[in-house]
Amino acid sequence: MAQAPAAGAEQPDGGAPRSPYAVELHGITKRFPGVVANKDIELSVRRGQVHAIVGENGAGKSTLMKTLYGEHRPDEGTILVDGRPVQFRSPADAIAAGIGMVHQHFMLADNFTVLENVVLGSEPRKGGRLDRDAARRRIDEISERYGLGLRPDDLVEDLGVGDRQRVEIAKVLYRNARTLILDEPTAVLVPQEVDELFGNLAELKREGLTVIFISHKLDEVRKVADAITVIRRGTTVGDADPRTTTAKQLAEMMVGAELPTPETRSSTVRQTPVLRLQGVTVASDAGRPLVDAVDLTVREGEVVGIAGVEGNGQAELVEAVMGLRSLAAGSVHLGDEDITGWTTRARREAGIGFIPEDRHRQGMLLDAPLWENRILGHQTRPPAAKGPFIDRKGARGDTERIMRDYDVRAPGPDTLAVALSGGNQQKLIVGREMSAAPRLLIAAHPTRGVDVGAQSVIWELLKDARGEGMGIVLVSADLDELIGLSDTLHVMLRGRLVATVDPRRVTPEELGGHMTGARTAAGAA
Amino acid sequence: MNRLRSTGLALLGPALAVLVALVISALVIALIGENPLRALQVMTDLGDAPSQQVQSVVVILNRAVPLFLAGLAVSIAFRMGLFNIGVEGQYRLATIVAAAVGAAVALPGPLHLLLVIVVGMAVGALWAGIVGVLKVTRGVSEVISSIMLNFIALGLASYLLTGPFRGSPEGASIITTTPLPESAWFPGLNGLLGAFGLAEPRTELFGFLLVAVVVGIAIAVLIQRTRFGFDLRATGISASAATASGVDARRMVVTTMLLSGAVAGLIGLPDLLGDARAFGTEFTAGLGFLGIAVALLGRNNVLGIALAALLFAFLDRAALPLQFADIPASVVTIIQGTIVLAVVIANEIARRLALRSAERAGAEATGAPPDPGGSADPGGPGPGTGPDGGHRVRTGVPGSSEEARA
Repeated sequence: MAQAPAAGAEQPDGGAPRSPYAVELHGITKRFPGVVANKDIELSVRRGQVHAIVGENGAGKSTLMKTLYGEHRPDEGTILVDGRPVQFRSPADAIAAGIGMVHQHFMLADNFTVLENVVLGSEPRKGGRLDRDAARRRIDEISERYGLGLRPDDLVEDLGVGDRQRVEIAKVLYRNARTLILDEPTAVLVPQEVDELFGNLAELKREGLTVIFISHKLDEVRKVADAITVIRRGTTVGDADPRTTTAKQLAEMMVGAELPTPETRSSTVRQTPVLRLQGVTVASDAGRPLVDAVDLTVREGEVVGIAGVEGNGQAELVEAVMGLRSLAAGSVHLGDEDITGWTTRARREAGIGFIPEDRHRQGMLLDAPLWENRILGHQTRPPAAKGPFIDRKGARGDTERIMRDYDVRAPGPDTLAVALSGGNQQKLIVGREMSAAPRLLIAAHPTRGVDVGAQSVIWELLKDARGEGMGIVLVSADLDELIGLSDTLHVMLRGRLVATVDPRRVTPEELGGHMTGARTAAGAA
Repeated sequence: MNRLRSTGLALLGPALAVLVALVISALVIALIGENPLRALQVMTDLGDAPSQQVQSVVVILNRAVPLFLAGLAVSIAFRMGLFNIGVEGQYRLATIVAAAVGAAVALPGPLHLLLVIVVGMAVGALWAGIVGVLKVTRGVSEVISSIMLNFIALGLASYLLTGPFRGSPEGASIITTTPLPESAWFPGLNGLLGAFGLAEPRTELFGFLLVAVVVGIAIAVLIQRTRFGFDLRATGISASAATASGVDARRMVVTTMLLSGAVAGLIGLPDLLGDARAFGTEFTAGLGFLGIAVALLGRNNVLGIALAALLFAFLDRAALPLQFADIPASVVTIIQGTIVLAVVIANEIARRLALRSAERAGAEATGAPPDPGGSADPGGPGPGTGPDGGHRVRTGVPGSSEEARA
């Protein structure tokens, strides 16, 4: 029933019998230096279906969709649209072939009306001017046909998130897309809006359109999708039928069932606490709690892992500990000292090391040489500083030491950071933070976007540091990494720590269940 | 060799820009029916007699000193990604207040000079500080507020000149403040020229040249060698990374604006203390805006700014001889304008070349190509896109991109 070859035949440019697939990708490989991108992707999307692509963050979903939308070209493999091979040089080519993309972050002009936003870039003209009547007719027709409920003259700044998303969808439909790519469309929506969106998707499907739905929320995917393809570590690991597959099985496919590699079993946990969080609460600008009354203790020699689907408050928690966000309530203690009101610099000087989640944004000065990056975050301490002056010689020398000890492959300390591969950049950051011998290390996604070799090096470094008595907070999306490295493992959901599990016994599937809220906290620990 | 190469790339941009500007200007001169080569000859002719040549050089140096200070003031803000367009207002206001205070008090020589200089720096710093405070507390873009404050400063200066600070008699065609007493005159350097066996020029070489050199060295050391300078440059390269490293971004904005304004407060002083002795309606205007061009051409490097200031001063001097030769003096303005346009483009090209050579060097060392930008996406957004996907507005100034986003 879900297969709808009839819908295809009705299409205006039909005629000859066509492939039942709206989009096919065969053997797509996209290489980026030092990072997991895509390898041997196989994907077949039937026309008139909602086809979900699921995978952990960083598994390569976005890279794949960029390939399909013509934002970059694959190194290998073929793309077929309606059975015909195509080559997209730019998104314009993809749009011409009937593929449209609704981005996770909306690309709308707030001070324009719905109508103006929808036609922007492909305006109907009459005598050199915008033909508002024609545009309004088209938009009303689209809105009517797919149940979008748009009022063309509303200002976009007055619209809610759900409406904005529908404007984005209308934009794509206005350009005659037959296949829509929705990138994490539910990430920004509240549950009611999610239901509305699913209603819209059903309308699109009924009209014979194809939807590619990217998500990592398993319950939603099972609700809306007709077919599911799972991506793990850059490649498609299999297809699943949402009617017969359980969330558990999907999670298994997503995170891989193989045993965790980064194993540290003998416990080095000591009694002295390094970090104590009590009732830590961080509020959004709108006053909504992003981190909700979190209590957490990290002891010397302990790795405390924080698992969770991205966007559940982990990033905010890390920033709160680093002093980059002010607390709405609660306190932070480092050792015996209350550091709640301390600046970021004071916290770093007191012995907190920081491996940020986004190394380009928070960890490095890309346009600066490596030795200056060695100084970053350690401006006030030797070997980077001598009194009020920067110790260039000391910093250079120590950069060379880090490059040797941590296997950072670069021509020399004067190389610009931008010239390094992701793995080497990350090794430099890890080396830099370790060099100051911190008591506490905040490691957010320490191996994200890093090649396999660098990944195991970083795991070893973290294990050694833990053995020497460093307390480590490990935030990660890689469940193997969390299970393998952590001594204590918490699960974060909607800003709260909802479960504490024993990393020695928990399976990735169980953990996945906690992360998506499918499992209640009752059965934990 | 690596060092040599990067220096070469740094010089390539400005040199290319000047060359392109000269070619375009030559075309314009040809279009208005004059001979470009003759114009060039007139501009480079410093005079026949040695005394004339010395005189020309002194005129160029006297012009270059305020231009250098203006470029320096702009570049300090540029280095941390702030665009201080308000230098114009800052120096005008600073100069008139310094002139009025200097004329109102009687002090022994050096102290009197010091007072005038300190007042000038303080007023400039305060006026620029408003921009910083507005940005930090209210989120007002420094571009907007500094432009607005320019208008207010110019209006305020006119009011002060015609009102409380008026020194010239009623009905005089040129209104000025009360002239400074002799104890506040900065001694010239012509004696020094004489000591070198050069002919004494008609114009006195500004003694403030020495102050400018000291300020230039101090700023260079401050920015390149100190922890404060590192924080400033780090904020300019990536505000988010600097914040995560423990830099208090808000305090940095205010401090940087104060510093930039303090240097801006010096711009009018060479002329005030060395020649004009009073602020008036005829006092040199536009130095603040020229300072932006000088900072761009000098690539925010103190030595580069000095060279750029000399070049602009050289061009300015040519205005008069060009008129004597019946060639419109606006040729100079055209050349300066095209230099600014060309330098922005050339800096960007040089930046990309430098990036590519760095990438090649990185690839040679690791065997793996590098990972530029957040998206690691060579075919996609490319260097014109910020790590957050937002399009960057490149002024061609290293380190100015973070704040200047569309």
